[in-house]
Amino acid sequence: MNAATEYPLRNILDFGMDTISLAGTLPAKLSAVREAGFSQIMISARDLMDHPQGFDAAVAAVRSSGLRVTGFQVLRDFEGLSGHLHEYKVDVAKSMLEMCHALGSKLLLVCSSTSTHATGDVDKLAADLRKLATLALPMGIKVAYEGLSWGRSISEFTAAWDVVVRAGAANLGLGIDSYHIFATRTSLEDLDFFDPRKIFLVQLADFMWHEVRTPEERMSTARHFRVFPGEGVHSDALADLVMRLDRIGYRGDYSFEVFNDDYQQMPLATVAERARRSAVWLGEDVLQRAVPLPEQIRLRRSEAG
Amino acid sequence: MTQVTNRELTEATSNPIGMDGIEFVEFSTSKPQALGLILEQMGFRPIARHRSREVLLYRQGEMNVVVNAHASRQPRAAQPTESPVIAAIALRVHDAAAAYRYTVDRGAWPVPTHVEVMELNIPAIHGVGTSRIYFVDRYKDFSIYDIDFVLNPAVDAHPPALTGLHWFGVVQYIGDERTEEWIEFYSELFGFAVLSGEQRYGILPKGRILQSPCKRFYLQLIEPKPGIFEVDPDEMFQRLGLGTPDVLATVSTLRERGIDFVESQGVHSGTRGALTQAYLGSVMFELVHHER
Repeated sequence: MNAATEYPLRNILDFGMDTISLAGTLPAKLSAVREAGFSQIMISARDLMDHPQGFDAAVAAVRSSGLRVTGFQVLRDFEGLSGHLHEYKVDVAKSMLEMCHALGSKLLLVCSSTSTHATGDVDKLAADLRKLATLALPMGIKVAYEGLSWGRSISEFTAAWDVVVRAGAANLGLGIDSYHIFATRTSLEDLDFFDPRKIFLVQLADFMWHEVRTPEERMSTARHFRVFPGEGVHSDALADLVMRLDRIGYRGDYSFEVFNDDYQQMPLATVAERARRSAVWLGEDVLQRAVPLPEQIRLRRSEAG
Repeated sequence: MTQVTNRELTEATSNPIGMDGIEFVEFSTSKPQALGLILEQMGFRPIARHRSREVLLYRQGEMNVVVNAHASRQPRAAQPTESPVIAAIALRVHDAAAAYRYTVDRGAWPVPTHVEVMELNIPAIHGVGTSRIYFVDRYKDFSIYDIDFVLNPAVDAHPPALTGLHWFGVVQYIGDERTEEWIEFYSELFGFAVLSGEQRYGILPKGRILQSPCKRFYLQLIEPKPGIFEVDPDEMFQRLGLGTPDVLATVSTLRERGIDFVESQGVHSGTRGALTQAYLGSVMFELVHHER
């Protein structure tokens, strides 16, 4: 089915879904996302390893889906370790990079460390991320570093930005996740001073309650109770975030990072339709993007193929 | 005494792996004889053969070229194809093991080595595309070739270079908007420095030129031409640059030996440089005016 003919043209090209929002097999997820009219998808390492025919079949399914891979996730607890723990994590990172490369993804997402074994020394964190960026470089992969709201020493996007700047690597940038910003109630003011070219990915999600005070509460909300932008109680803040990013010149991808237990037991098409409504709201009402010409859509599609 | 210490310190930071030029360049091809003929036309002489693999050594002056037809069992290795590819560059360094550790500690991918009996273990890291970068520290008193290669009988092991030819550098093709990233790769791991825009060499004034920390050779990074839309252009070492004190004399000598040069409106042989035709589908040499 050709989504472009099935749905009236809407400008949702900037937005993509994430496989973690959907239940079922990888091919079913790919097809649901495509049929909802999206052109891109965020892929998790687990998607590839869970495929019944194995890794190569999973990669082939993604590559033939017509969807562009927004990014590959997620490398955890990488930075700040020393000795054998560092060596072990470098090996894990190399495996992730090889998978990311096989998939044709140009972006690897890294979350700030939650490990009690990791140092909080920002220069060491920056040096480790610089090394990761160098490992990724020959493969043409960029690394997006994101501050988890329950991260051990880096828990806000402003602190993650500081590490990225210190590392000073061309292919290392910031990953922004609205959930973590709202969870820690970090002011968006600083965003106005960021270089938009160093923001490599923006993940968006809403949630149903106003406050998440403790790291434990943040973690359980993040993993089970997120909803698509516009479905929760932070719509205004999300619109503000997206408009600020647009104003400073961010033109990269927005991915819906929505973990939700309810969505895991709903038909894929229903969940993808909710995501589509969210994308239309952000694309047309908030960002007021013009509806694209059919030629532009075909170009994007051929890039993905 | 203080001065010496300062100088040593500066050297350690600006040339962190003690680089001292190129020891050899390795081509991979399934047609080693065909490439050998081109190399001989370019002035290289066959010198030696590897003890255990289908690998040949060619040389002229200070330049060693290794032609490898041996299929590799390693992942991400250049497999010999009819069109030769530049599969490796071996850097002369002060201490190969230390250079290997230095680069791997900073994010280079190590290449596992498979050494046969009586062969040297030459440490290597992954370079652009499927290429490798070797570190060689045995080049002063005795060479790696003394161990791994058997000399061809009755040949001059040190044939002089034609018209003063010497290594000038390597041209690397890269993807769109990848210049800054590759500059970082070479400066972070090896200490290469970007030349200012005014410092140009040769006749193809495009891309960015990096100088090795030993100041003995250059790397030129070239992105695809604007307007050429290719989703994922192959990144690779594309051609070798040979320095010569007199480009036109070298062109004339090589023409006599059967090498043709590109003569078009945009590119033609001149005092600054010249470009050979592509042979075997991929092999070309760029001549650059350069005194050693």
